Amino acid sequence: MHIPDGYLDLTIATTFFVLTIAVLGYSLLRLKKEKLTALFGIVSAAIFAAQMLNWPIPGGTSAHFVGGSLAGILLGPFAGCVSMAIVVTIQTLVFNDGGITAWGANVWNMAIVNVFVGYYVYKALQKFNKSFSAFLAGWIGVTVAAIFVGIEVGLSTSFAYGLGVTVPVMGVWHAILGIVEGIITAGVVGYIATRRADLLEKKEVGKIPYALVGLMILLSPAFAYLAEEVNYSEPLENVAEILGLEEETINSGIFPDYTIPGIDPYLGTLLSGLIGVLIVLLLSFGVRYARSPRKNT
Amino acid sequence: MHVLLERTLKNASSYFQNFFVHEYRSKGVIYEVDARVKFISAIIFVLLAVSTFEPIKLFFLFFSLLVIIKILGLSLKKLLQRVWLFTIFSLIVVSPFLLSDPKYPFIFSLRVLISLIAVQMLVMSTNFYDLCSALRSLRVPETFVHALWIAYRYVILLFQDIINIMLARESRRVARTGHGEIWKKGGEAVGLFFLRSIERSERLQLAMISRGEKIVAQKAKLGILEISYIAITAFIILWWISL
Repeated sequence: MHIPDGYLDLTIATTFFVLTIAVLGYSLLRLKKEKLTALFGIVSAAIFAAQMLNWPIPGGTSAHFVGGSLAGILLGPFAGCVSMAIVVTIQTLVFNDGGITAWGANVWNMAIVNVFVGYYVYKALQKFNKSFSAFLAGWIGVTVAAIFVGIEVGLSTSFAYGLGVTVPVMGVWHAILGIVEGIITAGVVGYIATRRADLLEKKEVGKIPYALVGLMILLSPAFAYLAEEVNYSEPLENVAEILGLEEETINSGIFPDYTIPGIDPYLGTLLSGLIGVLIVLLLSFGVRYARSPRKNT
Repeated sequence: MHVLLERTLKNASSYFQNFFVHEYRSKGVIYEVDARVKFISAIIFVLLAVSTFEPIKLFFLFFSLLVIIKILGLSLKKLLQRVWLFTIFSLIVVSPFLLSDPKYPFIFSLRVLISLIAVQMLVMSTNFYDLCSALRSLRVPETFVHALWIAYRYVILLFQDIINIMLARESRRVARTGHGEIWKKGGEAVGLFFLRSIERSERLQLAMISRGEKIVAQKAKLGILEISYIAITAFIILWWISL
């Protein structure tokens, strides 16, 4: 997930550098009064060590743990964000894993998006089930971070592939690998919940983080707008156009082309996306409920 | 879980070799140059590389860096060993464009190669403490720099810790395990590891409070060597602009 030097143009690199410095600076400022230097250092080293574990996955290959959501759940979003930023900085300065000019974008993806999204997914769902919400936090956190990588690289004028290639490649692949991330996060959180539940309980934060996450969400339509500006379209549609093929609809579905008939297309896309997410969540909870043990009455 | 352990140890052995590169030293002038100067120069070289697609500028920068490496006593062979793989990877990533724009994949990979060389010049000639000290001098927040240094120092110890936990659990296992079981049990082992790490950090914080927290010092004035290095960098920038 690390973007090297040369992949991002300077506009994108600078934008994310500024955004990262703002969030990271705010996080450090907020935690200034607490004596957390050792916690940042040790937890960063622990995440680094945990990232080196090569988890076998079916098919003979392996995946490694990212740990952004876990850092957010264990330390809270601000301390988690600083710890992950330290991990990314060491990877840049020691292993050359991720570029210096791309440091802002890399920290944004792995230390801010992953941590904050993972943390809030966990917080929103933990009242239902801690392990399951940790699984979703790990999975969604890493997938959204990967999508952000795809967006940054796809928008970069230095990289010849457009959003139509980079976002699906990063998003789909990490949505699959993210399942392993989710299972490990759930394992860790489940274990800690039984041994030191206090570690998971005390990270209540104020309204500003909501504003930060809101800012991230607000950025997404801006990226979508930029995508329109660079004439983004589906690769298969491009191929069909080149070959002169015409579309023949077999079944238009409930939301044809991610729109709702009779509603403004942009609003329709937004609503159909929300409904899609709700359906997935309802199905997940349904499966969870069906599998849960019950008392005999 | 033995598959997880075997793969991790195999991967980690090659990974940790990167740590020793900071300890690698030979009789080169570049090792004596202040980390602040090398850090800023490395950023400038990377910026010059990624801000153009003009072959003449990129080749000029590439050969300038090779000359600096040779003159200032860094091993070119060791440096290239550390950068070739990712350059080839980048070439493969953009190789589909060979037919439509044959120049682009090579220029793109050259930009990546130059950036990697510039950063490696810094990494191979500077120990990590000096790098942290340089960051502190450049006004990076104290907490961040101190935590960076602690993390660097503790990585190997904590890696040993997690491997010990995994080995202990593996030695007590009697039944065969599938992937799901590896992930679940492994997750629990990582949970134990994080608990131990957090408790270790609490002890370390108390020790730091009792001994004093200032662990990364800032550097003093620049000498003639640093001024010469700045002059070389300035010369390259000016020539690059004039091309």
